[in-house]
Amino acid sequence: MFQWLGQLFLAPPPWENPQLFGEQVVAGLATGSVYALVALAIVLIYRSTDIVNFAQGEMAMFTTFAMWSLHLAGVNTWVLIVLAALLGLALGAVVERVVIRPVEGKPELSVIVVTLGLFVVLNSVATWVWAQGVLPKTFPTPLSLLESVNLGFARVSQHHVAVLAIGVAVMVALAALFNYTRLGLAMRATAQNPTAARLMGINVGNMLTLGWALSAGLGGLAGALIAPITFLHPAFMLSVLLYAFAAAVLGGLNSVPGAVVGGFAIGVVENLLGTYTPDWLGAEMKLPLTLLLLVLVLLVRPTGIFGTQAVRRV
Amino acid sequence: MGIWPFLALMLGVSGVVRIAPVVPQRWRVLASLAVLLAFLCWAPFTLDDFRLFQMQRIGVFALTCLGLNILTGYNGQISLGHGAFMLLGTYTSAVLMDGTKQMSFVDAQAWPFWATIIVAGGVAAVAGFLLGFPALRLSGPYLAIATLALVISFPIIIRKYSEFTGGAQGLRFPQPPPPPFLEGLLDRAEWLYFLVLLTAVLMVLMAWNLLRGPVGRAFVAVRDSEIAAAAMGIDVARVKVTAFTVSAFYAGVAGGVFAQITGSVTPESVDIVQSINFLTGIVIGGLASIAGSVIGAALLVFIPSDAARIVGNLLGIETIVTRAPGAIQGAAVILVIILMPYGIAGAARRLLSLRWEAVLPVLRGLPAGLGRQGLRLPGRVSWAWEIRPWARRGQANPAGRKDVEKSGGEMSRE
Repeated sequence: MFQWLGQLFLAPPPWENPQLFGEQVVAGLATGSVYALVALAIVLIYRSTDIVNFAQGEMAMFTTFAMWSLHLAGVNTWVLIVLAALLGLALGAVVERVVIRPVEGKPELSVIVVTLGLFVVLNSVATWVWAQGVLPKTFPTPLSLLESVNLGFARVSQHHVAVLAIGVAVMVALAALFNYTRLGLAMRATAQNPTAARLMGINVGNMLTLGWALSAGLGGLAGALIAPITFLHPAFMLSVLLYAFAAAVLGGLNSVPGAVVGGFAIGVVENLLGTYTPDWLGAEMKLPLTLLLLVLVLLVRPTGIFGTQAVRRV
Repeated sequence: MGIWPFLALMLGVSGVVRIAPVVPQRWRVLASLAVLLAFLCWAPFTLDDFRLFQMQRIGVFALTCLGLNILTGYNGQISLGHGAFMLLGTYTSAVLMDGTKQMSFVDAQAWPFWATIIVAGGVAAVAGFLLGFPALRLSGPYLAIATLALVISFPIIIRKYSEFTGGAQGLRFPQPPPPPFLEGLLDRAEWLYFLVLLTAVLMVLMAWNLLRGPVGRAFVAVRDSEIAAAAMGIDVARVKVTAFTVSAFYAGVAGGVFAQITGSVTPESVDIVQSINFLTGIVIGGLASIAGSVIGAALLVFIPSDAARIVGNLLGIETIVTRAPGAIQGAAVILVIILMPYGIAGAARRLLSLRWEAVLPVLRGLPAGLGRQGLRLPGRVSWAWEIRPWARRGQANPAGRKDVEKSGGEMSRE
């Protein structure tokens, strides 16, 4: 009775091929964990400084290209992933001190434009340094993209499983950092009320630098994890950043659990749209469709699912 | 004449007329604008072809920047997506002029170029009107992200439906020749330049007329406080959608003219970096300022072509500059925001608000003042510098620039 419905799909519908459906969901969760990491990076910065960092993706692109150079120099691929996060940490700290600190407290538009300027600088420099010769470039993975793991209901590539595992592990570690350590408490206090935090003896400036460093570190990690799937070119983080924006906005820009839930949701939706969209729409339309979905959600809940409306004083 | 002597002469003469003593201010302003226009009319006969094409592009970008400034500077809604409106206008114009790619219900015949420009503006305005409604519910970063999504999605859609838009290859079509009565007087490039100039002047006059009237006041009132505006009887939703529509109309017309001067269009004609640059351009040029929009557009053209090279020569880093002009451009944006938060138009307006009787004592006292503990400004002059550039004209603050001094840093975002 669902035959007419089945003909709408590009791929065999879920009830005819549950294996494919399961595989797509797990692959979606894997890319979703990367989106969740970038979304977390966005939310971290937004909570502490009210800045949406439009250069988040380009910073990750930059570190990933640097890792690609190290790979050519013969560095082990597991080490590369760790180095990506560390380089991201350093880059984030430098960016906060040099570029963001001078515009702190300036109007929203000035800050947005500064991050956009950073976007243009990083994009341009990366294109100059690395984007010579054949593009896109392949990025190494410590595991195989072709050999798969049998999860019982689905067979998924080793890399996807590793990405999912690493992503979840990092999220748990972050949750522990923020909930069970003095440092995390200090960072949360800074985000909530900088003045009171300063009065309690917290070095607010250092906490902000640390927040940006953490956020860029998450981005660097995400870049190194997704690059083997998307391949490497100067614009490769742009769509990742958009999906992460979608995830963060879906969950609510100021909600940490929202970013995680949003990331996984967007990852799965994106993958299913790519697999099942009918021919007249085509798989390349998955990005516009995901964004359309996002706008529809925003129309119903303008601050996202978990987000809270800031109380405004008139 | 080279472009730099030309621009220096134009701005110099116009500036001298503007600050000439004795003559009433109203006449000085009109006269300096007339000087500007006269120089712009002379431009095609003294500049070479490359510079002339740059001037055409400045005119087109100025229209887009002006539209964006109406939305962002005057109405406080941030858009990163004006490249998409401009591209929509370009494609509308291109499809109508191409004649072969039209839908079956329109005669497959090329439209006259001027009609396609108007239709391009209209189509973009309708798109802006429709997008204005979702934008009502989004603010600040949410709106910026949504419009960023727009400018990234639009080229994907164009590539997908290629039977209509030519796909990734884009469209090529003939540029309009000079009209019969100008035959022999102007060659094609000069004629296109005057087409751009005429459109730009008309649109600037329209914007000036719109923004100083009740509609413009309503834009500014809504930007500064939606609640206060509503209390004054302004229909906030209506005003915001109007701003979006007008703004998109400007970008669409810019796109239509852009099609005329390039003669071809691809999905990459206006890419994401370009779209972002429109916003950075008006912030550098000056928010909530018509002159600022034009200055921003000029910088968008000249920074990659010239300023980057000049800076590179000064610093001795020519390779960066030739391979990565965006690095210089982005760095310039960041520096201007940090050093000159009111934009170039704001700085110029401050300079113009200086009065001779306040400046002269300082100039006279300079040698003595520098001898002791640095330069000390007499009270009246520092007052002249501190005055808010927008306060003079009874305007409220430009977008987002809240009363930091009055309410303290903590509350500045409310």
